[in-house]
Amino acid sequence: MKEIVNLTKLFINESLGFSLFFYNQKFNKKEFYKQLFTLIIVPVALIPAFFMYVSLMSATYFGLTMINQTSVFLSIGYIMATVLIIVFGIMYILSEFYFSDNIEELIPLPISQRKLIIAKFLSILVFEYIFAAFIFLPILIIYGVGQGMGLLYVLLSFLIFLTIPVLPLSLMTALIMLMMQSASLKGRKDMLQIVFVFIGIAVIFGVQIWFTSQLGNGDEVDFQLLMNTMLSNNEGILNIIGYAMPTSFLMAWALNKITLMSFVWVGALLGITLLSGALMVAIGERVYIKSIVSGKSMKKGKQLSGAERSKALGKKSHGAMAVFTMDLRLLLRTPVYFFNNVSVVIIAPLCVFLSFYFIKIPPEDLQGMQEFFRAMPVLINFLLISFFIFFGGTSATTATTFSREGKASWLTRMIPVTARDQIVGRTGVAMLIQSLGIVFTIIAIQLIFPLTLSTLLLTVVLGILGSLPILLFGLFMDMNRPLLNWDNPQKAIKNNMNVVITLFVGMAYTGLLIGISGLLGYFVNPLLGYGLFLLISIGISVVFYQVISNRLEAEFLNFE
Amino acid sequence: MLKLEQVSKTYGNKNEKAVDNVSFEVHPGEIFGFVGPNGAGKTTTIKMIVSLLAPNSGKIRINGIDNQNDILAAKKQFSYVPDSPELFEKIKGIEYLKFMADVYQVPAVERQERIEKYLDIFEIKDAVNDPIGSFSHGMKQKLALVGALIHDPQVFILDEPMVGLDPKASFELKKIMRDHCDRGRSVFFSTHVLDVAEKICDRIAIIKKGKIIEVGTMAEIREKAGSQESLENIFLELTE
Ligand SMILES: Nc1ncnc2c1ncn2[C@@H]1O[C@H](COP(=O)(O)OP(=O)(O)OP(=O)(O)O)[C@@H](O)[C@H]1O
Ligand SMILES: [Mg+2]
Repeated sequence: MKEIVNLTKLFINESLGFSLFFYNQKFNKKEFYKQLFTLIIVPVALIPAFFMYVSLMSATYFGLTMINQTSVFLSIGYIMATVLIIVFGIMYILSEFYFSDNIEELIPLPISQRKLIIAKFLSILVFEYIFAAFIFLPILIIYGVGQGMGLLYVLLSFLIFLTIPVLPLSLMTALIMLMMQSASLKGRKDMLQIVFVFIGIAVIFGVQIWFTSQLGNGDEVDFQLLMNTMLSNNEGILNIIGYAMPTSFLMAWALNKITLMSFVWVGALLGITLLSGALMVAIGERVYIKSIVSGKSMKKGKQLSGAERSKALGKKSHGAMAVFTMDLRLLLRTPVYFFNNVSVVIIAPLCVFLSFYFIKIPPEDLQGMQEFFRAMPVLINFLLISFFIFFGGTSATTATTFSREGKASWLTRMIPVTARDQIVGRTGVAMLIQSLGIVFTIIAIQLIFPLTLSTLLLTVVLGILGSLPILLFGLFMDMNRPLLNWDNPQKAIKNNMNVVITLFVGMAYTGLLIGISGLLGYFVNPLLGYGLFLLISIGISVVFYQVISNRLEAEFLNFE
Repeated sequence: MLKLEQVSKTYGNKNEKAVDNVSFEVHPGEIFGFVGPNGAGKTTTIKMIVSLLAPNSGKIRINGIDNQNDILAAKKQFSYVPDSPELFEKIKGIEYLKFMADVYQVPAVERQERIEKYLDIFEIKDAVNDPIGSFSHGMKQKLALVGALIHDPQVFILDEPMVGLDPKASFELKKIMRDHCDRGRSVFFSTHVLDVAEKICDRIAIIKKGKIIEVGTMAEIREKAGSQESLENIFLELTE
């Protein structure tokens, strides 16, 4: 038992980097304050989002009270929490069980497999409890307060809260272990990670699309109507999802009305949860270590002939091109990077398309909308521009560009590449990805809402130029505080404050820029609006470019 | 060729200096060995030479260029292979070599000649189309060596080059080093292997706790120590 606790602590410490934190406190104050700042600012930054979530949930609850259907409230929350835990859990499970280096050091030690598996699982569970607390506790509280529940409710709901991440996580872990075992035989570990994550996303989409399609025509997205459709739809949507997630019934039966039976249902839930945990451990003991040991192979390329080698070496190409190619390859070939930085440009346009597709707008309304926009091109242009900037700003590609190289970044710092080439190459990669997003979006929109060539030209140019300051800001952040000391590429992104800061600053900046130039364009003169937009974007970009190119070489000396 | 003047470095807010007022010079055509016990400051010194770390004080000139005044020009003068080179795991060997040839602006003909030659010498031709992540430790080191030799640097800087190489490869590397210096260029490397230092170095510097305690040819160092002992014995006495 003590061994398990110690191992769990070790894994948590490792994924959060506490040791380095305390080392820095003693020996490297500057680094320490940076980390401390991170530890404080992230929760603070999330407070508004949390408040929004709680108010949304309260509103939902009151909406349900009005139609006398509060009993579905807990089920919605339970299913939502479970889906979210699964989706985020996939990444945690993969990185803790399969992509962390500690396992290779631990296998030779005399620690039983069972303990290793339990400890790894617990270390993920700790994070998921925190996550579940933010997602599911407000729901339990809103319902409890709303229904005027008593102490028994508190006790029972606490027990249910305890089960909530365990069940989906242990089943997911077992599933991943089984799939990784068969994949490890083929040595395709990396691709599998992408596949898993995309399956996760597909699940969310599936549920969402399905929800939307349940709305019927959806010409009027009305909350009341939505609920009515859901509830009058025979057993209701929840029953159907409930069959996929039968434990949600147990939860609902236990908490919706507190009776003696509630204890039985909660007991059953606890039992099922324990069983699923045991199942995961049993499967893990059979396949986990075995697949780790056998699955350490990478796919090899075919052997090259002399002519092929000389073709691959090619001619002299520009330094910026070399940086660009290297950065792009790393981005596309590392699953975590691909998922975080590239997949959004595929998913977001897909969302646009699907929402157009499933919320069927009647032809006459569509025509009305088109006329409305034709009458006010400034509005639609700025709308499009901000959507295009979104691809540049949110992917935070430049904000992790040095961090992504990790311990291999010595190479970047040692080679004689000018600051200009570094900036152009790395910003170029971000722009390429952004352009992909833009192209996909245009295709998605074009199918429903044809745009003129001049509109396209204007919005694309302004969209790209408008995001340039954010891209350069991200580069500036990563130049000043890269995260290089990681053992798992996921950390270069997930533990990287530059991403969060760039995201927030980028959003605030975009809002301001679009707001000011949009107002100017709308009320005074469109050309003035676009002009101001252009002027600000180029001005800020130039300033950042200068700052980075003056500082980059000197900052490279501070990377370690 | 390579000149350090009173270079010092302290990490973070530690008290003792990792490198303390170090000065020495590597002449053209010279293989210069840098020896010292663990934690003496060898890697730290090398990192300051190759612009991975900024010294707190002192000057470093590479081929006459001050590496704090004109970093870029200084970087073009050397190439560097760290003690255990971390390379981009997802990149193929050949892609890495092309990258190195591009950033050092090596023309097509030269890059092909040199790469073919060194791939043959280090016997990694067959692996060159595989991702670096699938390379063994020694293969990574060999690839880094090939990459570092592409632009035929003025100063070839290596940190613990013999560790991890098989006997054949380290024999070949020594030959390459000698050949490099015979063409008027220089090699600067750190090592624990005192036999190697004794045999192939023209001159040696011994560093201990950040300070240079001895610089010179083997003969000069022997003379000072007043003995005809091997470098190993002198080293053990000096660094006690
Ligand atoms: N990143 C770092 N942060 C803090 N201290 C460091 C760091 N790197 C090295 N040091 C300290 O600087 C001193 C010199 O280390 P250095 O790596 O230069 O030694 P070395 O001579 O290369 O040793 P070895 O033979 O083991 O490679 C040591 O005391 C070490 O603890
Ligand atoms: Mg060293």
